[in-house]
Amino acid sequence: MVNLTINGKPVKASEGEMLLAVIRRMGIDVPALCDHAAIEPAGNCRLCMVEITKKEWDGWKKSVTSCLYPVEEGLIVQTHTEELHEIRKTILDLQLANCPNSDVIQKLAAEYGVYKTSFQVQPEGDNCIMCYACTRICEVLGRNAISPTQRGHNKVIAPPFGVEPPDCIGCLSCAHICPTDHITWHDDHGVRVIWEKKFELIECSKCGKRTITREFADFLIKERELPKEYFEICDDCKRKETAKKFGTLAIKVREAAI
Amino acid sequence: MKLDSIKKLDAWQKECRKKLDSQKTKVLVCLGPGCLAGGSDIILKEFENILKTKKIPGITLEAVKKTGCHGFCARGPMVVIEPAGIFYTKVKKTDVKDIIEKTLMKGEIIERLLYKNPDTEEIYKDWRKIPFYARQQRIALRNVGQIDPDEITDYIANGGYSALAKVLGTMKPRQVIEEVTKSGLRGRGGAGFPTGKKWATCAREVSDIRYVLCNGDEGDPGAFMDRCIMEGDPHTVLEGMIICAYAVGSTEGYMYVREEYPLAVVNLQKAIEDAYEHGLLGKNILGTDHSFDIKISRGGGAFVCGESSALMKSIAGEIGEPRAKYVRSVQKGLYDKPTVLNNVESYANIPEIINKGADWFASIGTKKSTGTKAFSLAGKVRNTGLIEVPMGVTLREIIFEIGGGVLDGREFKAVQTGGPSGGCLPASKLDLPVDFDTLTENGSMMGSGGMIIMDDRTCMVDVARYFLNFLVEESCGKCVPCREGLFQLHQLCLKVCNGEATEEDLALMERLSKTIVKASLCGLGQSGPNPFTSTAMYFRDEYMAHIKDHKCPGGVCKKLITYRVNDECNGCMACIRVCNSNAITGVKKQKHVIDEVKCDRCGACYAVCNFEAIDIV
Amino acid sequence: MMEYRFQVIPDLCTGCKTCEVACAFAHAKNGKPGRSRIYPLAHAKDQFVPVTCLQCDDAACVKSCMFNALRRNEETGAIEIDYGRCVKCQACVAACPFGCALVDEEQDEIVKCDLCGGSPACARFCPESALRYVKIETA
Repeated sequence: MVNLTINGKPVKASEGEMLLAVIRRMGIDVPALCDHAAIEPAGNCRLCMVEITKKEWDGWKKSVTSCLYPVEEGLIVQTHTEELHEIRKTILDLQLANCPNSDVIQKLAAEYGVYKTSFQVQPEGDNCIMCYACTRICEVLGRNAISPTQRGHNKVIAPPFGVEPPDCIGCLSCAHICPTDHITWHDDHGVRVIWEKKFELIECSKCGKRTITREFADFLIKERELPKEYFEICDDCKRKETAKKFGTLAIKVREAAI
Repeated sequence: MKLDSIKKLDAWQKECRKKLDSQKTKVLVCLGPGCLAGGSDIILKEFENILKTKKIPGITLEAVKKTGCHGFCARGPMVVIEPAGIFYTKVKKTDVKDIIEKTLMKGEIIERLLYKNPDTEEIYKDWRKIPFYARQQRIALRNVGQIDPDEITDYIANGGYSALAKVLGTMKPRQVIEEVTKSGLRGRGGAGFPTGKKWATCAREVSDIRYVLCNGDEGDPGAFMDRCIMEGDPHTVLEGMIICAYAVGSTEGYMYVREEYPLAVVNLQKAIEDAYEHGLLGKNILGTDHSFDIKISRGGGAFVCGESSALMKSIAGEIGEPRAKYVRSVQKGLYDKPTVLNNVESYANIPEIINKGADWFASIGTKKSTGTKAFSLAGKVRNTGLIEVPMGVTLREIIFEIGGGVLDGREFKAVQTGGPSGGCLPASKLDLPVDFDTLTENGSMMGSGGMIIMDDRTCMVDVARYFLNFLVEESCGKCVPCREGLFQLHQLCLKVCNGEATEEDLALMERLSKTIVKASLCGLGQSGPNPFTSTAMYFRDEYMAHIKDHKCPGGVCKKLITYRVNDECNGCMACIRVCNSNAITGVKKQKHVIDEVKCDRCGACYAVCNFEAIDIV
Repeated sequence: MMEYRFQVIPDLCTGCKTCEVACAFAHAKNGKPGRSRIYPLAHAKDQFVPVTCLQCDDAACVKSCMFNALRRNEETGAIEIDYGRCVKCQACVAACPFGCALVDEEQDEIVKCDLCGGSPACARFCPESALRYVKIETA
């Protein structure tokens, strides 16, 4: 166990835990857009910055991204100083110039008193805040179908060479994890389209309801050694099957008892 | 020949020395980047061609050597005749015959090719006496320009690998680290972290494998120190790395060289092959238990890959983006293993520290910044080139005594140190001693050692804009403050250049800079606003002139200047001929007129006019 | 050792759907009821089986989750969803052989029976005691 102080309150944390997790556990609201428990922290959005110091540092302080900073014995953390407020405000101001139409950014910026960006609005601005949540979740799956390409302000998240990604299995994890709903996809007549790649959705052999993509199912069957037949019918029909199976069993038990 | 003991190396060294000394006269042709651009390869070929047919007593083909950068790039192509130190500058192919017939055969000196001090008209027969060289002290560059980088025997003859022999034969790893720590050597890549401390931390980490890396990704515009060391003396870098590997207990190393330095890659590759062949790399180096392998990893030319964590990702084949270094790379670096990463120049210092001792090294320079530092002088300075000086010399000494002052006798305005994310220092700071801490305290930084000198015709706002643009393009784009912040800072700077900015914009730039510095993920962003903050601090009046008066005092920002013909014009029509937009009208022997509407402010007329008849207003 | 077990007795179930309502309200969020995690389904005339998660030992849902968002609560024995880790990929929905991992479209999340943290609402409200949460002795 590690002992530290956050906003004046002593708190215990386990070795290797990141500061942000401890801060969140204490119920302190620190904004973060690129943090997610399912993925490795990256420190891209810079909103979760906190100020740290230690007794032995003689008053020296530094600002660090709490999502990436492992807890240390004797750490003294401040989550809401004037300087941190200024940092978050400026960053949100910059994001608002970059993603003027994102309601997530608009809402968060407003919380910091930014209603209109001080900077030049990007005419071609989309909702991508370049947090890499999508590429990181794809990495967890071991697919790496998409990645950041180009540099600096021209950076985009894209499949290799900008063509439909061969390693994408259409699981939508990237789209669901995206904090600003930038990644678009649609299901239409049993066909899913994401990253301009088309996927066939499995059709329930009983009722015809569409479930996940064939590629995703095959991936789970192979990677997680699940039986193929689990994926052939939809959850509604599976429940009906369950009722039938157990009901028949119950009748048998009852008859046997009589 | 494999050297399987230290004794064999000693014997070989004597043999090499003897062979080298058998050549009474040596002709060194500089093939450094500057001279090569001036055609020094043609000169070398010419020497070979003539000497193949001509028999000169005492001089064989082997006496003509190609070397790395000799340093005085402004005077290239250079041919140096040793041991007399005869220094021929701006040599042309046609001069080669003369050099052979007069100097080599008769011992005559060709005066027209010697260096003449433009101020005093003094002619120097020995290059070591030229002020450009006389004030230098060369440790890292000791062999650069003196030996043939392709010949391991040249390096060996000059005491090469004797430091390695000393380390392997007489020192424990701990003692090597102590020696480097005692020398006070600080990382020459820019940050100035104590090298010994870095090695010690890495050696303490418990791990099955440790890596030793060399950062040869010199990306700063105008910097070419590391390039010249890698091209001109590759073995010293290897020796430094092997010693480091022994000290920290590493068996595997990588040389990270940027793809834009093809000659450095070729020379290093040759050096590595030679070192393997002679048992200086690989298993059981010099018959000892120490084994070490080096591979070359070529970088794709991203500026950010010079940043340690991005460099390690690049070597590992991942996207070259930095990570937060709350867990340091000496603990978890390449492939998450303890890793020592040093700059080319840092490694080049190591053999000399071992050979001559830590005390000797620590006695050079200042107390906190020991030793010497290589700089590349570029920009509006008379003596462009590669230099190495003890730490603590002043900027004035570097620029005016070694550098020979500002080009064309113009007035000095600023010097930019530390590459794109360094800062610009004004004339009032010329007497600052050059060391890590002083430069940082004054809003600039040591960086890898690029120095760009600017004259009074430079617009400091434009300089800030130029470097910000570089950083915007080279930012990896991972974190918001650097990607968006520098982009917006550059946009605002453009506004100032165009005379469209207000004082509020300037305040916004300052506020934004503070956040970028504090909130960026890596060193690139954290020092990114430096071009703006340092110029806004020292040249605020220029910013105000752009904002309030809509004037560019340096006469650079196109939207704020006009070209006008003054009464000095004698009607020579030179400007009319060069003007691309047909904006100048006039007849012979009569004053010409520039149409301000048609003029696109390219400055061609200004440059071509021999009578100072064009004003920038 | 004492352990709790969730028991379903189909013979007692009348298909009144009280459990469904109880579950939906027990999992209400933002003033809206959640999707019920239990369904009393007819398999023959007037014969019902309340179908809900079996909290399998070697559960397909746990296996199918690539992000470790499904874990067993050792105290209650329920497999729970860690919403901090769930990205709604629906692998568990597709994988569960009993159809008991569900998509709650209203609340926009994946849901499954969590035994209400140790006091299942369905069992509390079942008028026929067809659903029981009982203490049993295990070896």
